[in-house]
Amino acid sequence: MLVKTLKSLLTAVLALSILPASWAGRSVTLLNVSYDPTRELYKEYNGAFAKYWKAKTGDDVTVNQSHGGSGSQARAVIDGLDADVVTLALAYDVDAVAEKAGLLPKDWQKRLPDNSSPYTSTIVFLVRKGNPKNIRDWDDLAKPGVSVVTPNPKTSGGARWNYLAAWGYALRKWNKDEAKAREFVTAIYKNVPVLDSGARGATVTFVERGIGDVAVSWENEAFLAVNQLGKGQFEIVVPSVSILAEPPVAVVDKVVDRRGTRKVAQAYLEYLYSEEGQEIAARNYYRPRLPSVAAKYAVQFPKVDLFTVEEVFGGWQKAQKAHFADGGLFDKIYLPGK
Amino acid sequence: MNRRTLLAIAGAILLGAGIIRRASAGDVNASPADVQQRLEALELKTKVLERRWEVDQENAAAKSKESSTPSIGKDGYSLKSADGRFQIKFQGDIQADGRFYLNDKAEAFTDTFLLRRVRPTVEVTAYGIFDGRIQPNFGGGAAGVDDAYAELRFFPFAKLRAGRFKAPVGLENLQSSSKITFVERGLPAGLLPAYDQGVQLHGDLWGGAATYALAVQNGALDGTNTDSTDNNDRKDFAARVFLTPFKASASDLLNDLGFGVGAAVGKDRGTTNASTTRLPSYKTEGQNAFFTYKTNIIAWGERRRVSPQLKWYPGPVGLLAEYVLSSQEVKSTTTVSAANLRNRAWQVAVTYVLTGERASYNGVKPRKPFDPKQNTWGALELAVRYSQLDVDRNAFPRFADPAKSSRAARAWTGGLNWYLNPVVKTSVDYAYTWFDRGATTGDRVAERAVFSRIQFSF
Repeated sequence: MLVKTLKSLLTAVLALSILPASWAGRSVTLLNVSYDPTRELYKEYNGAFAKYWKAKTGDDVTVNQSHGGSGSQARAVIDGLDADVVTLALAYDVDAVAEKAGLLPKDWQKRLPDNSSPYTSTIVFLVRKGNPKNIRDWDDLAKPGVSVVTPNPKTSGGARWNYLAAWGYALRKWNKDEAKAREFVTAIYKNVPVLDSGARGATVTFVERGIGDVAVSWENEAFLAVNQLGKGQFEIVVPSVSILAEPPVAVVDKVVDRRGTRKVAQAYLEYLYSEEGQEIAARNYYRPRLPSVAAKYAVQFPKVDLFTVEEVFGGWQKAQKAHFADGGLFDKIYLPGK
Repeated sequence: MNRRTLLAIAGAILLGAGIIRRASAGDVNASPADVQQRLEALELKTKVLERRWEVDQENAAAKSKESSTPSIGKDGYSLKSADGRFQIKFQGDIQADGRFYLNDKAEAFTDTFLLRRVRPTVEVTAYGIFDGRIQPNFGGGAAGVDDAYAELRFFPFAKLRAGRFKAPVGLENLQSSSKITFVERGLPAGLLPAYDQGVQLHGDLWGGAATYALAVQNGALDGTNTDSTDNNDRKDFAARVFLTPFKASASDLLNDLGFGVGAAVGKDRGTTNASTTRLPSYKTEGQNAFFTYKTNIIAWGERRRVSPQLKWYPGPVGLLAEYVLSSQEVKSTTTVSAANLRNRAWQVAVTYVLTGERASYNGVKPRKPFDPKQNTWGALELAVRYSQLDVDRNAFPRFADPAKSSRAARAWTGGLNWYLNPVVKTSVDYAYTWFDRGATTGDRVAERAVFSRIQFSF
C-alpha cells in the first residue's frame, strides 16, 4: 500500500515538474521609451499595471523604462531601439517614428481615446521662494536681467511646448503679428544661459545647480520641484495664458508583433485610461482625462487659459517645420545668454 | 572645454574683478553691498559655466552612444554601431611562401616562391543576429573564393549558414589556414572535402562544451574545393560533433582537450571526360601528385568519409591527431571492373612553444611582441608531425597504375614557427615524404621539401 502510494506521489511530482511553462504563467518584458520627466509617473504606474496584469492573466510583466528628451528618444527608436510602447511629449515625435521608420501606422493617434493622450499638462513658471524677480507673466521673462531656464527644443519635447507657449502668448498680445512674436521670443532666449537636453535636466539646472530666476517648466515638473525636490524653496507662477500639452502614447506595432507582446503592450496603454491609471497620473501632477478623477483633483490644478497647437500653429507638422527644423526660426533666434 | 580650464577661467574672472576693483580710483570707496552684488554675479557666472560644461559632457556622452565606434588593431579594422548590432570588419592574410626541394638532381620538382594565399576578408553583422563573410583568395595567381556565406544566428545552439564554406568533417581542415601549425596540412587533408556550397545548421551546446554541425552541400572530392555549381543532382550530407567536456574546468591541463568525429556521405557519378571523372588525385605536402586513377576510371556510387579526431593543448604543448577513412565506389568505363575503394590516412602532430606561451588550435599569441628595443622577441614554437595515407590495395592494378601511382605515402615533418606578434608569423618546415611503389622500378623518389612562409594575418 505504501509502495503504491509512493509510486502515485512520485508520478504526480514528475507530472507537475514537466507542466508546460504557460501553465505556470509567462514572464514578459516591455520597454517603454518615454520623455524626460515621466520617471516618477511610470515608476508608480508600472508597479500598478504589473499587479493588475498578474491578477488578470497570471503573467508577470516587467516594464523597463528609457527616459530622455522626447526628440532624442524618438530618434533612438527610429534608429533601432526596440520600444514596445512610446510615451512621448508630443504627437510630432511619434509621427516621426511612424513616417521615418514605419514602425507604426500613420493613423496611430486614432487608436486610443483623446487622440491617444491619456493625460494632459501645461506650461508654467517655477520661481524661487518669494519670487525675488517678481515674475508674473511671459513679459517678465523677456526683461533684461532675468535669467530663464528652459531646455533645448532640438532635443526636448517640453522645450518645444515652452517655446510655442511663449510664441502663442505673443501672437495673442500683438494680434497675430509674427514679427513681434519673433522679437519677443528672441528676447526671452537671450536670457537663457544654458540649454539642457531635456526637461528633467533643466529642472536639475534650476533646482539643484541654483541657476536662473525662473524655469519655464512642465506643470508636473514644477509641482515635483515645489513638493519634493526642493520643498519649501520654490513657488509656481501660472501665466495668464499657456498651451494645452497633450503627451501621446502609442504601441510600436512592428516591435510588439516581432516580440509577441502586442496584447500586453496594448493593455499597458489602455490601463492608463482606467481609474487607477488616471489616479496615478493625477498624483504625479498630470491632468487626468477621466472626469471623475479630474473632479477629485481639480483643486490641485490651477485654472489656466489654454490654447492648442492646432488653434495657433495649424498643428505640429507646421510648427515643427517653421520653428524647430534645421534652419528654422529657433536656429535663427537663439543666442546663449550672457 | 574641460573642468580644469573652466575653473581656471572662473578664477581669472574673480581675480580680474579684484584687480580692476583695486585699480579703479572711482571704486575705492565701493560699498559692501556693491561688492556683494558683484561676487554674486561672478558666482552665478561660474555656476552657469559649470552647468554648461556638464550639459556639454551629457550631450557628448549621448552623442557617443549614437555614433559608431571604429577600431583598428591586431584583429583588423572594424566599425561598430553604438548599440553593437551593426558591424563591419576588414581582415586579411597574406602568405608569401617558398618551396624548395633537396636532392632533386632530376628536377622532378620545381623550386618556387609563391603567394600561397592572399585573402582580404570582410565580415558584417546586421541587427545583431545576421552575419555575412566574404573571403576571396587571390593566391597562386588565380582569383577564387574561399568563404562566402550568410549566417542567421537565431540562438547559440542553432545557427543557419548558407553559401560557401568548409565541409564540417576534418579537424585540421577546419582550422583556419592562417592558424595551422605547419605550412601545409598533413596527408589526411587529401581525403577530406574542403570548400563547398550548401547549407549548414550548427551551434554550441552546454556553453560550448559541445559543438555540432549538419550540412548539405554539393559534394567536394577528396582534398579539393568544389566549383561554383554542381554537375549533378546528388548532394553530400555531412555531420560533425566535437566535445570539449572540460572547457569550463579550472584545470589548464584539461580545459583544452577536445575530441569528436566528422562524417560525410554522398553519391557521385563521373563521366569519361578527364575533367569530370569525379575522382581525386592525392598530393604530398609539396602539392605534388603521387596517386591518380587511370583515365578510364570514374566515380560511380556512394562516397563516404568518417574522421575521428582529437586535439589537446595542455599549456605550451599541443597535440592534434586525426584518422580519416574515405571510401568511393568506382568503376571502369571500358571493362566491368567496379569496386568500393577504401583509402585511409592519419596524422599525429605535436607542438611545443619554447617561449612558454600556451599552444592553441587558434595559433600562439606571443606574450611579448617582437621589439628589439625592448629586448622582446615574440614566441617560438617547435612542431613535429607524422602523417600517412594508404590507398586501398584493391585499387591496383585495375583502377590505378602501380608504376605511376603510389600505394602509400608517409611523411615526417618538422617545423619551427616564430610568432613575432599576433599578426606576423614566419615558418620554416622540412618534410620528408617517402612512398610505397609509384615508379616503374619500385618506389617513387622520396620528396625532401623545405617550406618557408612569411605570413601577415590581421
